[in-house]
Amino acid sequence: MTKKELFEEIKNNLIEMEEDVVEELCKKSLEMDIPAKETIQEGLIAGMEVVGQLYEEEEYFLPEVLICSDAMNIGIDVLKPHLEGDVSSDKIRAVIGVVEGDTHDIGKNLVKIMLEAGGIEVHDLGRDVALDEFIHKAKEIEAHFIIMSTLMTTTMEGMKVVIEKLKAEGMRDSVKVAIGGGPISQRFATEIGADLYTKDANEAVRKIKEIHEAA
Amino acid sequence: MEIKGSILGEKLTEKQRLLDVLNGKDTDRPPVICPGGMMNAAVTEVVEGMKKNHNCDIDAMVEAAIKVHEITGFENYGVPFCMTIESEPFHVEVDLGSKLVEPRITKYNEDILNHLDEIKLEHSKRAITVLEAISRLKNNEIPVIGNITGPMSVVTSVIEPTDYYKMMRKDKVKAMKFLDIVTDYLIRFSMEMIENGADLIAMSDPSATGEILGKKNFEEFMIPMYKKISEAVHEKGVKIIIHICGKSQSILESLNDSGADSLSFDSAVGIRQAKEVLRAPIMGNVSTQLLDQGMKEKVKLCTEIVMKNGTSIVSPACGLAMSTPIENLKAMTDTVKNKG
Repeated sequence: MTKKELFEEIKNNLIEMEEDVVEELCKKSLEMDIPAKETIQEGLIAGMEVVGQLYEEEEYFLPEVLICSDAMNIGIDVLKPHLEGDVSSDKIRAVIGVVEGDTHDIGKNLVKIMLEAGGIEVHDLGRDVALDEFIHKAKEIEAHFIIMSTLMTTTMEGMKVVIEKLKAEGMRDSVKVAIGGGPISQRFATEIGADLYTKDANEAVRKIKEIHEAA
Repeated sequence: MEIKGSILGEKLTEKQRLLDVLNGKDTDRPPVICPGGMMNAAVTEVVEGMKKNHNCDIDAMVEAAIKVHEITGFENYGVPFCMTIESEPFHVEVDLGSKLVEPRITKYNEDILNHLDEIKLEHSKRAITVLEAISRLKNNEIPVIGNITGPMSVVTSVIEPTDYYKMMRKDKVKAMKFLDIVTDYLIRFSMEMIENGADLIAMSDPSATGEILGKKNFEEFMIPMYKKISEAVHEKGVKIIIHICGKSQSILESLNDSGADSLSFDSAVGIRQAKEVLRAPIMGNVSTQLLDQGMKEKVKLCTEIVMKNGTSIVSPACGLAMSTPIENLKAMTDTVKNKG
Protein backbone atom coordinates (compact mmCIF):
# COMPACT_ATOMS: atom_id res chain seq x y z
CA MET A 1 0.00 0.00 0.00
CA THR A 2 1.35 3.41 -0.91
CA LYS A 3 1.21 6.35 1.44
CA LYS A 4 -1.51 7.93 -0.64
CA GLU A 5 -3.62 4.76 -0.57
CA LEU A 6 -3.23 4.52 3.17
CA PHE A 7 -4.44 8.09 3.68
CA GLU A 8 -7.39 7.35 1.44
CA GLU A 9 -8.19 4.21 3.49
CA ILE A 10 -8.00 6.12 6.77
CA LYS A 11 -10.22 8.84 5.38
CA ASN A 12 -12.84 6.42 4.06
CA ASN A 13 -12.92 4.29 7.19
CA LEU A 14 -13.29 7.38 9.34
CA ILE A 15 -16.23 8.50 7.21
CA GLU A 16 -17.68 4.97 7.46
CA MET A 17 -17.36 5.16 11.29
CA GLU A 18 -15.00 2.14 11.45
CA GLU A 19 -13.09 3.18 14.57
CA ASP A 20 -11.14 -0.06 14.93
CA VAL A 21 -9.97 0.00 11.32
CA VAL A 22 -8.90 3.63 11.65
CA GLU A 23 -6.87 2.68 14.71
CA GLU A 24 -5.18 -0.22 12.89
CA LEU A 25 -4.41 1.93 9.86
CA CYS A 26 -2.86 4.64 11.99
CA LYS A 27 -0.61 2.04 13.62
CA LYS A 28 0.29 0.85 10.16
CA SER A 29 1.24 4.38 9.13
CA LEU A 30 3.80 4.36 11.92
CA GLU A 31 5.21 1.02 10.74
CA MET A 32 5.53 2.59 7.30
CA ASP A 33 7.49 5.46 8.88
CA ILE A 34 5.04 8.06 7.67
CA PRO A 35 5.32 11.25 9.75
CA ALA A 36 2.46 11.38 12.27
CA LYS A 37 1.63 14.94 11.38
CA GLU A 38 1.06 14.01 7.77
CA THR A 39 -1.27 11.13 8.64
CA ILE A 40 -3.29 13.38 10.94
CA GLN A 41 -3.61 16.03 8.26
CA GLU A 42 -4.10 13.94 5.12
CA GLY A 43 -6.02 11.05 6.66
CA LEU A 44 -7.90 11.99 9.83
CA ILE A 45 -8.57 15.68 9.32
CA ALA A 46 -9.26 15.22 5.61
CA GLY A 47 -11.86 12.60 6.61
CA MET A 48 -13.49 14.90 9.16
CA GLU A 49 -13.74 17.60 6.53
CA VAL A 50 -15.87 15.28 4.43
CA VAL A 51 -17.95 14.44 7.52
CA GLY A 52 -18.51 18.17 8.01
CA GLN A 53 -19.73 18.44 4.44
CA LEU A 54 -22.02 15.44 4.84
CA TYR A 55 -23.45 17.11 7.95
CA GLU A 56 -24.05 20.34 6.09
CA GLU A 57 -25.73 18.43 3.28
CA GLU A 58 -27.93 16.61 5.84
CA GLU A 59 -26.56 13.22 4.87
CA TYR A 60 -25.08 12.80 8.33
CA PHE A 61 -26.65 13.86 11.60
CA LEU A 62 -25.37 14.16 15.13
CA PRO A 63 -25.01 10.42 15.89
CA GLU A 64 -22.83 9.91 12.82
CA VAL A 65 -20.72 13.03 13.39
CA LEU A 66 -20.05 12.01 17.00
CA ILE A 67 -18.85 8.54 16.05
CA CYS A 68 -16.63 9.87 13.23
CA SER A 69 -15.14 12.30 15.71
CA ASP A 70 -14.40 9.44 18.09
CA ALA A 71 -12.65 7.63 15.25
CA MET A 72 -10.56 10.72 14.61
CA ASN A 73 -9.59 10.99 18.27
CA ILE A 74 -8.65 7.33 18.48
CA GLY A 75 -6.36 7.87 15.50
CA ILE A 76 -4.87 10.99 17.04
CA ASP A 77 -4.19 9.09 20.27
CA VAL A 78 -2.17 6.54 18.32
CA LEU A 79 -0.19 9.17 16.42
CA LYS A 80 0.28 11.85 19.07
CA PRO A 81 3.30 10.28 20.85
CA HIS A 82 5.09 10.23 17.50
CA LEU A 83 4.61 13.86 16.59
CA GLU A 84 8.01 15.39 15.97
CA GLY A 85 9.00 18.66 17.56
CA ASP A 86 6.69 21.05 19.30
CA VAL A 87 3.97 21.24 16.71
CA SER A 88 1.41 22.59 19.11
CA SER A 89 3.05 25.99 19.53
CA ASP A 90 1.81 27.32 16.21
CA LYS A 91 -1.71 26.02 16.74
CA ILE A 92 -4.67 28.23 17.48
CA ARG A 93 -5.62 27.65 21.12
CA ALA A 94 -9.21 28.04 22.25
CA VAL A 95 -11.15 27.69 25.49
CA ILE A 96 -14.75 26.55 25.03
CA GLY A 97 -17.70 26.12 27.38
CA VAL A 98 -21.40 26.58 28.05
CA VAL A 99 -21.89 29.53 30.39
CA GLU A 100 -23.04 29.15 33.97
CA GLY A 101 -26.73 28.37 34.45
CA ASP A 102 -27.07 26.33 31.29
CA THR A 103 -26.46 22.63 30.79
CA HIS A 104 -27.32 22.28 27.09
CA ASP A 105 -24.09 21.29 25.42
CA ILE A 106 -24.89 19.52 22.16
CA GLY A 107 -24.16 22.64 20.11
CA LYS A 108 -20.96 23.31 22.02
CA ASN A 109 -19.78 19.73 21.52
CA LEU A 110 -20.38 19.96 17.81
CA VAL A 111 -18.38 23.18 17.57
CA LYS A 112 -15.60 21.56 19.57
CA ILE A 113 -15.48 18.56 17.23
CA MET A 114 -15.33 20.74 14.14
CA LEU A 115 -12.67 23.00 15.66
CA GLU A 116 -10.51 20.00 16.53
CA ALA A 117 -11.04 18.60 13.07
CA GLY A 118 -9.90 21.97 11.81
CA GLY A 119 -6.62 21.55 13.66
CA ILE A 120 -7.43 23.94 16.49
CA GLU A 121 -6.37 23.04 20.03
CA VAL A 122 -9.53 23.10 22.13
CA HIS A 123 -9.73 23.16 25.92
CA ASP A 124 -13.24 22.15 26.86
CA LEU A 125 -14.56 23.41 30.20
CA GLY A 126 -17.86 21.57 29.77
CA ARG A 127 -21.24 22.98 30.68
CA ASP A 128 -22.57 25.21 33.43
CA VAL A 129 -19.10 26.84 33.57
CA ALA A 130 -18.38 29.48 36.21
CA LEU A 131 -17.51 32.73 34.45
CA ASP A 132 -14.12 33.11 36.17
CA GLU A 133 -13.16 29.68 34.92
CA PHE A 134 -13.06 30.98 31.32
CA ILE A 135 -10.58 33.66 32.37
CA HIS A 136 -8.40 31.30 34.43
CA LYS A 137 -8.12 28.73 31.68
CA ALA A 138 -7.47 31.34 28.99
CA LYS A 139 -4.65 32.75 31.10
CA GLU A 140 -3.22 29.31 31.82
CA ILE A 141 -3.00 28.13 28.21
CA GLU A 142 -2.45 31.59 26.68
CA ALA A 143 -5.58 31.15 24.61
CA HIS A 144 -6.22 33.02 21.39
CA PHE A 145 -9.97 32.53 21.68
CA ILE A 146 -12.67 32.15 24.31
CA ILE A 147 -15.74 30.50 22.82
CA MET A 148 -18.98 30.58 24.80
CA SER A 149 -22.41 29.18 24.06
CA THR A 150 -25.81 29.13 25.69
CA LEU A 151 -29.27 28.00 24.70
CA MET A 152 -31.01 30.03 27.36
CA THR A 153 -31.78 33.72 27.27
CA THR A 154 -31.33 33.86 31.04
CA THR A 155 -27.64 33.09 30.80
CA MET A 156 -26.72 35.36 27.90
CA GLU A 157 -25.63 38.17 30.20
CA GLY A 158 -22.87 35.94 31.54
CA MET A 159 -21.07 36.35 28.23
CA LYS A 160 -20.94 40.08 28.70
CA VAL A 161 -19.53 39.59 32.19
CA VAL A 162 -16.69 37.45 30.80
CA ILE A 163 -15.79 40.20 28.33
CA GLU A 164 -15.77 42.76 31.16
CA LYS A 165 -13.54 40.48 33.22
CA LEU A 166 -11.12 40.10 30.32
CA LYS A 167 -10.88 43.89 30.14
CA ALA A 168 -10.30 44.15 33.88
CA GLU A 169 -7.48 41.59 33.62
CA GLY A 170 -5.89 43.49 30.74
CA MET A 171 -6.36 40.46 28.47
CA ARG A 172 -8.94 41.79 26.07
CA ASP A 173 -6.43 42.60 23.33
CA SER A 174 -4.84 39.18 23.26
CA VAL A 175 -8.02 37.05 23.54
CA LYS A 176 -10.77 37.13 20.94
CA VAL A 177 -14.28 36.22 22.03
CA ALA A 178 -16.64 34.11 19.94
CA ILE A 179 -20.21 33.35 20.98
CA GLY A 180 -23.10 31.23 19.72
CA GLY A 181 -26.26 29.33 20.66
CA GLY A 182 -30.02 29.45 20.07
CA PRO A 183 -30.92 32.91 21.42
CA ILE A 184 -27.64 34.59 20.39
CA SER A 185 -27.63 36.95 17.41
CA GLN A 186 -25.12 39.15 15.62
CA ARG A 187 -26.88 42.08 17.22
CA PHE A 188 -26.28 40.72 20.71
CA ALA A 189 -22.65 39.95 19.86
CA THR A 190 -22.09 43.51 18.67
CA GLU A 191 -23.88 44.91 21.71
CA ILE A 192 -21.65 43.12 24.23
CA GLY A 193 -18.51 43.65 22.15
CA ALA A 194 -17.80 40.03 21.16
CA ASP A 195 -15.47 39.56 18.18
CA LEU A 196 -17.44 36.84 16.49
CA TYR A 197 -20.87 35.31 16.25
CA THR A 198 -21.55 32.29 14.06
CA LYS A 199 -24.67 30.32 13.52
CA ASP A 200 -23.13 26.90 13.02
CA ALA A 201 -20.05 24.83 13.73
CA ASN A 202 -18.49 24.85 10.28
CA GLU A 203 -18.80 28.60 9.97
CA ALA A 204 -17.16 28.95 13.38
CA VAL A 205 -14.06 27.08 12.20
CA ARG A 206 -13.73 29.17 9.03
CA LYS A 207 -14.24 32.51 10.78
CA ILE A 208 -11.95 31.72 13.70
CA LYS A 209 -9.14 30.89 11.28
CA GLU A 210 -9.80 34.07 9.31
CA ILE A 211 -9.74 36.25 12.40
CA HIS A 212 -6.58 34.56 13.67
CA GLU A 213 -4.76 35.04 10.38
CA ALA A 214 -5.83 38.67 10.19
CA ALA A 215 -4.57 39.37 13.72
CA MET B 1 -69.08 37.65 21.40
CA GLU B 2 -68.36 34.09 22.43
CA ILE B 3 -71.56 32.33 21.44
CA LYS B 4 -70.69 30.99 18.02
CA GLY B 5 -70.08 27.28 17.99
CA SER B 6 -71.94 26.51 21.18
CA ILE B 7 -75.57 25.69 21.73
CA LEU B 8 -78.25 28.31 22.25
CA GLY B 9 -76.02 31.20 23.20
CA GLU B 10 -74.44 29.37 26.07
CA LYS B 11 -70.97 30.80 26.66
CA LEU B 12 -68.18 28.66 25.22
CA THR B 13 -65.78 27.87 28.04
CA GLU B 14 -62.02 27.91 27.54
CA LYS B 15 -62.00 24.19 28.10
CA GLN B 16 -64.72 23.51 25.56
CA ARG B 17 -63.09 25.71 22.92
CA LEU B 18 -59.75 23.93 23.24
CA LEU B 19 -61.31 20.47 23.22
CA ASP B 20 -63.48 21.43 20.22
CA VAL B 21 -60.40 22.44 18.25
CA LEU B 22 -58.68 19.19 19.14
CA ASN B 23 -61.78 17.30 18.04
CA GLY B 24 -61.69 19.05 14.69
CA LYS B 25 -64.78 21.20 15.32
CA ASP B 26 -65.20 24.83 14.26
CA THR B 27 -64.99 27.43 17.01
CA ASP B 28 -65.52 31.19 17.27
CA ARG B 29 -61.75 31.81 17.44
CA PRO B 30 -58.59 29.87 18.22
CA PRO B 31 -57.78 29.30 21.90
CA VAL B 32 -54.57 30.91 23.17
CA ILE B 33 -52.61 28.69 25.54
CA CYS B 34 -49.19 28.06 27.04
CA PRO B 35 -49.34 24.39 28.00
CA GLY B 36 -46.72 24.19 30.76
CA GLY B 37 -43.73 21.87 31.13
CA MET B 38 -40.92 23.08 28.92
CA MET B 39 -43.34 25.59 27.43
CA ASN B 40 -44.57 27.29 30.58
CA ALA B 41 -45.44 30.88 31.39
CA ALA B 42 -44.34 30.96 35.02
CA VAL B 43 -41.96 33.78 34.12
CA THR B 44 -40.12 35.89 36.69
CA GLU B 45 -42.77 38.59 36.88
CA VAL B 46 -45.45 35.97 37.59
CA VAL B 47 -43.65 34.09 40.37
CA GLU B 48 -41.42 36.71 42.01
CA GLY B 49 -43.91 37.65 44.70
CA MET B 50 -44.44 34.05 45.76
CA LYS B 51 -42.96 32.68 48.97
CA LYS B 52 -42.10 29.15 47.87
CA ASN B 53 -40.60 27.41 44.83
CA HIS B 54 -43.39 26.50 42.42
CA ASN B 55 -41.25 23.66 41.08
CA CYS B 56 -41.57 21.58 44.22
CA ASP B 57 -44.05 23.03 46.72
CA ILE B 58 -47.61 21.89 46.14
CA ASP B 59 -49.30 25.14 47.18
CA ALA B 60 -46.86 27.21 45.13
CA MET B 61 -47.31 24.94 42.12
CA VAL B 62 -51.10 25.35 42.19
CA GLU B 63 -50.80 29.06 42.86
CA ALA B 64 -48.36 29.59 39.97
CA ALA B 65 -50.66 27.73 37.54
CA ILE B 66 -53.59 29.90 38.57
CA LYS B 67 -51.53 33.09 38.46
CA VAL B 68 -50.34 32.33 34.92
CA HIS B 69 -53.97 32.04 33.85
CA GLU B 70 -55.05 35.21 35.62
CA ILE B 71 -52.11 37.47 34.88
CA THR B 72 -51.03 36.49 31.37
CA GLY B 73 -54.44 35.60 29.96
CA PHE B 74 -53.43 32.15 28.70
CA GLU B 75 -56.54 29.98 28.59
CA ASN B 76 -55.33 26.97 30.52
CA TYR B 77 -53.79 25.66 33.70
CA GLY B 78 -50.64 23.62 33.22
CA VAL B 79 -48.14 21.82 35.44
CA PRO B 80 -45.28 21.21 36.05
CA PHE B 81 -42.97 24.10 35.06
CA CYS B 82 -39.81 22.25 34.12
CA MET B 83 -38.55 19.20 32.28
CA THR B 84 -36.63 17.40 34.97
CA ILE B 85 -39.32 15.53 36.93
CA GLU B 86 -39.50 12.57 34.54
CA SER B 87 -35.76 11.97 34.94
CA GLU B 88 -35.80 11.80 38.74
CA PRO B 89 -36.94 8.16 38.97
CA PHE B 90 -33.77 7.27 37.04
CA HIS B 91 -31.66 8.62 39.90
CA VAL B 92 -30.09 11.64 38.28
CA GLU B 93 -29.16 14.64 40.38
CA VAL B 94 -31.35 17.69 39.93
CA ASP B 95 -30.71 21.24 41.02
CA LEU B 96 -34.19 22.49 41.83
CA GLY B 97 -33.13 26.05 41.16
CA SER B 98 -35.23 28.67 42.79
CA LYS B 99 -38.46 30.22 41.86
CA LEU B 100 -36.52 32.40 39.44
CA VAL B 101 -34.14 29.80 37.99
CA GLU B 102 -35.45 26.72 36.23
CA PRO B 103 -34.50 23.32 37.63
CA ARG B 104 -31.77 21.49 35.75
CA ILE B 105 -30.02 18.13 35.73
CA THR B 106 -26.60 18.39 37.35
CA LYS B 107 -25.46 14.76 37.32
CA TYR B 108 -26.27 11.96 34.90
CA ASN B 109 -26.65 8.32 35.85
CA GLU B 110 -24.72 6.37 33.21
CA ASP B 111 -24.77 3.30 35.44
CA ILE B 112 -28.46 2.83 34.65
CA LEU B 113 -27.44 1.20 31.35
CA ASN B 114 -26.06 -1.77 33.30
CA HIS B 115 -29.36 -2.35 35.05
CA LEU B 116 -31.96 -1.99 32.32
CA ASP B 117 -33.34 -5.45 33.00
CA GLU B 118 -34.00 -5.02 36.68
CA ILE B 119 -35.07 -1.40 36.62
CA LYS B 120 -37.86 -0.49 39.04
CA LEU B 121 -39.27 2.97 38.72
CA GLU B 122 -40.91 4.84 41.55
CA HIS B 123 -42.46 8.28 41.20
CA SER B 124 -40.32 11.03 42.65
CA LYS B 125 -41.76 13.25 45.33
CA ARG B 126 -42.24 15.98 42.78
CA ALA B 127 -44.13 13.68 40.39
CA ILE B 128 -46.61 13.06 43.18
CA THR B 129 -46.80 16.81 43.80
CA VAL B 130 -47.69 17.30 40.14
CA LEU B 131 -50.44 14.69 40.32
CA GLU B 132 -51.88 16.33 43.41
CA ALA B 133 -51.66 19.79 41.81
CA ILE B 134 -53.66 18.51 38.85
CA SER B 135 -56.40 17.16 41.09
CA ARG B 136 -56.57 20.49 42.91
CA LEU B 137 -56.71 22.48 39.67
CA LYS B 138 -59.43 20.32 38.11
CA ASN B 139 -62.53 22.36 37.21
CA ASN B 140 -65.28 22.70 34.63
CA GLU B 141 -64.23 25.81 32.76
CA ILE B 142 -60.47 26.04 32.41
CA PRO B 143 -58.62 23.18 30.77
CA VAL B 144 -55.96 21.54 32.93
CA ILE B 145 -52.95 20.35 30.92
CA GLY B 146 -50.68 17.60 32.20
CA ASN B 147 -47.21 18.07 30.74
CA ILE B 148 -44.63 15.42 30.05
CA THR B 149 -41.12 15.64 28.65
CA GLY B 150 -40.68 13.53 25.53
CA PRO B 151 -38.75 10.23 25.60
CA MET B 152 -35.63 11.43 23.77
CA SER B 153 -35.32 14.45 26.04
CA VAL B 154 -35.65 12.26 29.14
CA VAL B 155 -33.14 9.70 27.89
CA THR B 156 -30.64 12.48 27.14
CA SER B 157 -31.27 13.93 30.60
CA VAL B 158 -30.50 10.63 32.30
CA ILE B 159 -27.26 9.87 30.45
CA GLU B 160 -24.77 12.04 28.57
CA PRO B 161 -26.57 13.01 25.32
CA THR B 162 -23.57 12.33 23.08
CA ASP B 163 -23.30 8.81 24.54
CA TYR B 164 -26.91 8.14 23.72
CA TYR B 165 -26.74 9.57 20.21
CA LYS B 166 -23.77 7.31 19.53
CA MET B 167 -25.55 4.33 21.03
CA MET B 168 -28.33 4.82 18.51
CA ARG B 169 -25.86 3.76 15.83
CA LYS B 170 -23.61 1.43 17.73
CA ASP B 171 -25.99 -0.53 19.93
CA LYS B 172 -29.42 -0.04 18.50
CA VAL B 173 -31.01 -2.78 20.59
CA LYS B 174 -29.90 -1.26 23.86
CA ALA B 175 -30.72 2.28 22.73
CA MET B 176 -34.21 1.19 21.78
CA LYS B 177 -34.70 -0.72 25.01
CA PHE B 178 -33.79 2.29 27.15
CA LEU B 179 -36.05 4.53 25.11
CA ASP B 180 -38.85 2.02 25.54
CA ILE B 181 -38.44 1.89 29.33
CA VAL B 182 -38.56 5.68 29.49
CA THR B 183 -41.61 5.75 27.21
CA ASP B 184 -43.44 3.25 29.43
CA TYR B 185 -42.75 5.43 32.44
CA LEU B 186 -44.05 8.49 30.58
CA ILE B 187 -47.21 6.59 29.70
CA ARG B 188 -47.70 5.62 33.32
CA PHE B 189 -47.18 9.23 34.44
CA SER B 190 -49.62 10.61 31.87
CA MET B 191 -52.23 7.98 32.72
CA GLU B 192 -52.10 9.09 36.34
CA MET B 193 -52.29 12.73 35.28
CA ILE B 194 -55.50 11.91 33.40
CA GLU B 195 -56.90 9.95 36.35
CA ASN B 196 -56.22 12.96 38.54
CA GLY B 197 -58.14 15.27 36.25
CA ALA B 198 -55.91 16.40 33.38
CA ASP B 199 -58.08 17.36 30.40
CA LEU B 200 -55.31 16.80 27.94
CA ILE B 201 -51.63 15.90 27.74
CA ALA B 202 -48.91 18.03 26.17
CA MET B 203 -45.52 16.53 25.42
CA SER B 204 -42.37 18.45 24.43
CA ASP B 205 -39.37 16.63 23.05
CA PRO B 206 -36.70 19.25 22.33
CA SER B 207 -33.86 16.74 22.02
CA ALA B 208 -35.57 14.90 19.17
CA THR B 209 -35.27 17.54 16.50
CA GLY B 210 -34.83 16.76 12.84
CA GLU B 211 -31.57 18.67 12.95
CA ILE B 212 -30.06 16.37 15.56
CA LEU B 213 -31.49 13.03 14.47
CA GLY B 214 -32.39 13.32 10.81
CA LYS B 215 -35.51 11.88 9.23
CA LYS B 216 -34.42 8.23 9.25
CA ASN B 217 -33.51 8.07 12.93
CA PHE B 218 -36.58 10.08 13.82
CA GLU B 219 -38.86 7.62 12.06
CA GLU B 220 -37.12 4.59 13.45
CA PHE B 221 -36.73 5.67 17.08
CA MET B 222 -39.21 8.41 17.85
CA ILE B 223 -42.37 7.74 15.86
CA PRO B 224 -43.04 4.32 17.46
CA MET B 225 -42.65 5.88 20.92
CA TYR B 226 -44.92 8.82 20.15
CA LYS B 227 -47.49 6.46 18.69
CA LYS B 228 -47.45 4.32 21.80
CA ILE B 229 -47.91 7.35 24.07
CA SER B 230 -50.67 8.83 21.89
CA GLU B 231 -52.54 5.52 21.77
CA ALA B 232 -52.44 5.12 25.53
CA VAL B 233 -53.71 8.69 26.02
CA HIS B 234 -56.46 8.13 23.43
CA GLU B 235 -57.58 4.98 25.17
CA LYS B 236 -58.44 7.16 28.12
CA GLY B 237 -60.54 9.34 25.81
CA VAL B 238 -58.07 12.23 26.09
CA LYS B 239 -56.18 14.28 23.46
CA ILE B 240 -52.46 14.89 23.15
CA ILE B 241 -50.38 17.77 21.76
CA ILE B 242 -46.79 17.12 20.69
CA HIS B 243 -44.16 19.86 20.46
CA ILE B 244 -40.89 19.49 18.58
CA CYS B 245 -38.11 22.10 18.64
CA GLY B 246 -35.76 23.41 16.02
CA LYS B 247 -35.95 23.29 12.27
CA SER B 248 -38.35 20.39 11.81
CA GLN B 249 -38.94 20.61 8.08
CA SER B 250 -37.28 17.26 7.42
CA ILE B 251 -39.53 15.37 9.83
CA LEU B 252 -42.86 17.14 9.25
CA GLU B 253 -44.31 14.38 7.15
CA SER B 254 -43.25 11.66 9.57
CA LEU B 255 -45.19 13.41 12.32
CA ASN B 256 -48.44 12.48 10.60
CA ASP B 257 -47.86 9.03 12.08
CA SER B 258 -47.23 10.26 15.64
CA GLY B 259 -50.87 10.03 16.69
CA ALA B 260 -50.82 13.62 18.00
CA ASP B 261 -54.10 15.54 17.94
CA SER B 262 -52.19 18.78 17.46
CA LEU B 263 -48.58 19.49 16.56
CA SER B 264 -46.47 22.42 17.65
CA PHE B 265 -43.21 23.77 16.23
CA ASP B 266 -40.60 26.36 16.83
CA SER B 267 -40.96 29.58 14.83
CA ALA B 268 -38.33 28.16 12.47
CA VAL B 269 -41.23 26.26 10.88
CA GLY B 270 -43.87 28.29 9.07
CA ILE B 271 -47.53 27.60 9.88
CA ARG B 272 -48.53 27.60 6.22
CA GLN B 273 -45.76 25.22 5.32
CA ALA B 274 -46.69 22.88 8.18
CA LYS B 275 -50.36 22.97 7.25
CA GLU B 276 -49.60 21.80 3.75
CA VAL B 277 -48.03 18.61 5.05
CA LEU B 278 -49.80 17.82 8.31
CA ARG B 279 -53.26 16.47 8.94
CA ALA B 280 -53.54 17.42 12.61
CA PRO B 281 -54.33 21.02 13.61
CA ILE B 282 -51.27 23.16 14.25
CA MET B 283 -50.46 24.83 17.55
CA GLY B 284 -48.11 27.79 17.55
CA ASN B 285 -45.99 29.70 17.08
CA VAL B 286 -45.38 33.24 18.27
CA SER B 287 -41.60 33.69 18.46
CA THR B 288 -40.34 33.31 22.03
CA GLN B 289 -37.44 35.61 21.31
CA LEU B 290 -39.85 38.29 20.21
CA LEU B 291 -41.96 37.69 23.33
CA ASP B 292 -38.87 38.13 25.47
CA GLN B 293 -37.15 41.03 23.75
CA GLY B 294 -39.61 42.64 21.33
CA MET B 295 -41.99 45.57 21.68
CA LYS B 296 -45.59 44.72 22.39
CA GLU B 297 -46.78 46.21 19.09
CA LYS B 298 -44.59 43.69 17.29
CA VAL B 299 -45.95 40.86 19.44
CA LYS B 300 -49.45 41.91 18.47
CA LEU B 301 -48.51 41.94 14.80
CA CYS B 302 -46.80 38.56 14.98
CA THR B 303 -49.84 37.06 16.76
CA GLU B 304 -52.12 38.40 14.02
CA ILE B 305 -49.89 36.92 11.32
CA VAL B 306 -49.83 33.52 13.02
CA MET B 307 -53.65 33.58 13.16
CA LYS B 308 -53.93 34.71 9.57
CA ASN B 309 -51.67 31.88 8.50
CA GLY B 310 -54.16 29.47 10.00
CA THR B 311 -52.87 28.23 13.34
CA SER B 312 -55.58 26.33 15.19
CA ILE B 313 -54.25 27.03 18.68
CA VAL B 314 -52.20 30.17 19.34
CA SER B 315 -49.22 29.59 21.63
CA PRO B 316 -45.59 30.59 22.11
CA ALA B 317 -43.25 28.86 19.65
CA CYS B 318 -41.07 27.24 22.30
CA GLY B 319 -40.03 27.53 25.95
CA LEU B 320 -40.34 31.08 27.30
CA ALA B 321 -37.39 32.85 28.86
CA MET B 322 -37.90 33.63 32.55
CA SER B 323 -37.34 37.30 31.71
CA THR B 324 -40.30 37.50 29.30
CA PRO B 325 -42.39 40.55 30.29
CA ILE B 326 -46.05 39.96 31.20
CA GLU B 327 -46.91 42.95 29.07
CA ASN B 328 -45.90 41.03 25.95
CA LEU B 329 -47.73 37.85 26.94
CA LYS B 330 -50.82 39.92 27.61
CA ALA B 331 -50.44 41.63 24.21
CA MET B 332 -50.46 38.18 22.64
CA THR B 333 -53.48 36.80 24.51
CA ASP B 334 -55.48 40.03 24.14
CA THR B 335 -54.89 40.05 20.40
CA VAL B 336 -56.37 36.57 20.07
CA LYS B 337 -59.33 37.32 22.34
CA ASN B 338 -60.15 40.58 20.55
CA LYS B 339 -60.30 38.76 17.25
CA GLY B 340 -63.16 36.62 18.53
